[in-house]
Amino acid sequence: MKKASNLKFRNESALGWLLLLPSFIILGIFVFYPMLKTFFLSTQLTDLMGNPIKFIGFKNFSNLFTSDSFMTSFTITLIFVFFSTLLTLVMAYLMAMSASQKIMGIAVFRTMFSSTMGVSVTVASILWLFMFNPQIGMFSKILTFLHLPQINFLSDPTWSLVAIIGTTVWMNLGFAFLILLGAIQAIPQDLYQVADLDGASWLMRLRKITIPATSPTIFFVTVVTLINAFQTFGQVDILTSGGPDYHTNLLVYAIYQDAFVNHSVGRASAQSVILTIIIMLFTMIQFYVKNRKGANYANE
Amino acid sequence: MFKNVAKYVALTTIGLSAVVPMVQVHAADSKRQNIVFWHSMTGQNQQAIERIVNDFNASQTKYQVTPEFQGQYVEALPKFLSVGGTSKAPDLFQSNEISTKQLSTSGMIEPMQTLIKKYKYSTKNLRKNILNYYTINGKLYSMPFNSSAPVLYYNKDAFKAAGIDDLPTSPTYEQVTAAAKKLKEKTGSAKLSILPYGWTFEELLANQNQTLVNNGNGRKKTATKATFNNKAGKNIMNWIKTNASAGTLVDYGTGANAGDTELSAFTSGQIDMFMNSSASLGNIKKNAKFNIGVTYLPRPEGTKANGVVIGGASIWMSKGKSTKVQKGAFEFLKFATSAKEQAQWSIDTGYFAVNTKSYDTKQLKDAFKETPILAAPVNQLKDTKINAASKGALITAMPKERVNTQNAMENVINGKDVDSELSKAEKQTTSDIKQANEQAGE
Repeated sequence: MKKASNLKFRNESALGWLLLLPSFIILGIFVFYPMLKTFFLSTQLTDLMGNPIKFIGFKNFSNLFTSDSFMTSFTITLIFVFFSTLLTLVMAYLMAMSASQKIMGIAVFRTMFSSTMGVSVTVASILWLFMFNPQIGMFSKILTFLHLPQINFLSDPTWSLVAIIGTTVWMNLGFAFLILLGAIQAIPQDLYQVADLDGASWLMRLRKITIPATSPTIFFVTVVTLINAFQTFGQVDILTSGGPDYHTNLLVYAIYQDAFVNHSVGRASAQSVILTIIIMLFTMIQFYVKNRKGANYANE
Repeated sequence: MFKNVAKYVALTTIGLSAVVPMVQVHAADSKRQNIVFWHSMTGQNQQAIERIVNDFNASQTKYQVTPEFQGQYVEALPKFLSVGGTSKAPDLFQSNEISTKQLSTSGMIEPMQTLIKKYKYSTKNLRKNILNYYTINGKLYSMPFNSSAPVLYYNKDAFKAAGIDDLPTSPTYEQVTAAAKKLKEKTGSAKLSILPYGWTFEELLANQNQTLVNNGNGRKKTATKATFNNKAGKNIMNWIKTNASAGTLVDYGTGANAGDTELSAFTSGQIDMFMNSSASLGNIKKNAKFNIGVTYLPRPEGTKANGVVIGGASIWMSKGKSTKVQKGAFEFLKFATSAKEQAQWSIDTGYFAVNTKSYDTKQLKDAFKETPILAAPVNQLKDTKINAASKGALITAMPKERVNTQNAMENVINGKDVDSELSKAEKQTTSDIKQANEQAGE
């Protein structure tokens, strides 16, 4: 009897492994192998074709942390990620709240608000490139109209990052809006009715009902936007190519430049490893926060 | 019923996907020797390169050249490096001038000199300055194909309206600045653009007979140091600074499309002076609704123009290909650089004809008569003194050098100090050269 169940168990687990095999193979080839190889290459001096020549330990890393261009990249990436995620979230939430009202023709606004989802990164960047043009761009015209001094958005060290953040937020809005709108609409209406009976203010209802009820979705949107922000590439390439003086040289763009333009695969791999660690850290923090929150709700 | 339709569709798809590759294999198996040619030409230039290939295929029956677009130069190079030396490598590969050092030392290519000797070809009709760029230690490594050099473009109508005389053939920085100031006075806005772009800096340096790196611009032996933090480098930066602080300079930044933005700003009359490749002349001619002026690259007052370094690309032959392929590939290169083909190529694209005999052909003579401004870039190339500076720098770290000088230019436009920016860019470039040399085992 015991033997039979053991056998059955073994068969079942064999079947389980068999069923998992295809995804293991695919993940192994396309995710785990490249990842391990990147870790390996980050400890190597590579030749101009990207082949490892000799082991140099953590020299790629120590070189990075003493190089001005990397430290600029690193700092501005963190600033960029923080502001683009925060702004996307706040703006998308406000848009989702205003679009969840039940008035006539609201569907038109919902479509408009989510329309940036249908624009590819390249197209969006080109559109914004026109708007940032120092002579005929929309922003330049507005500044002239308001008699304000001209700002060259794409070549000023401070404003260029603002320009990239603005473009990115605009591009991310559609997706974040759509997901948040769905969450807000899924909140049971009777909660609001009860709150109305109690005479709760708008702010109170937002704090006590809307935000808590949508917090899992807010969490999801934050994670997705944050990871997206770390991987920003297209808008940097088209708007500034990392300039002026590395002030928009976001990490992924720096990695691309080092690996494929400057042929320093070792240095690029080291930066990839750093980026991986950062993203992993953020994800871990967020999951930790989420788990604690979940536990709190269960207690209440 | 519908289920069955779906099944048939699926089966047909699978069936076709099995048959199609066989058909292709069959096509390649015909008597003609197939020659794969990777290039990076887009738009108008792609049509022009395909016309040359089609003409070649129609002109004989032994070889069939297949052109394959592999993305821009920056994208195509890593692709080539990852298949170089294997059977998957293309037979012919077009690559830009700054990859010369890397490709010549990669061990994946057959020096053009070997083929020239083997098939007894003479390069005497090809333009000397262009050959010089691709010649290392007396050996030609790749076949010149599409070459260009920078010139200064200006809007003659705008100059007239502002009461400014036309610029001379070889203008000075001071003359350009004076014109820019007058234009600003008359129109109220900045009308000169100097794009923060490493290539522009290199060319302005060469025009003052100053090398970018040591050891004869890296041509005598491997360069170990950048050498542009000097009088010549400062002249360039001060010229930029003068215009930036006078408010006569428009800055289009460093984005991937900044060059296109600058070009369309010129053709639509927002700016009246800028420097760009002579290969843009075709485009400008087509889109500008005013009289265009073309001059040599500017120089500081009191110096003589040394001339320019050629830019553009050349065609490389892969190593380890069969004699039959080599022979066919070389036949194609001879065809593509012949006087007639280069004349048409030059008219179609705006690149120089690399064959000097092209300028004796009727088609090019007619084109010059019709648009005299075509002559300025060619004359500038003819007047260029042949020396280490005009041969151009030969280093692998070129892309990094460009970013470093570009950053310095952008910082100077934004008001930073010329001396410290130049010294920073030079130091960084030297360290980049050292790193690249270490990577290459030199």
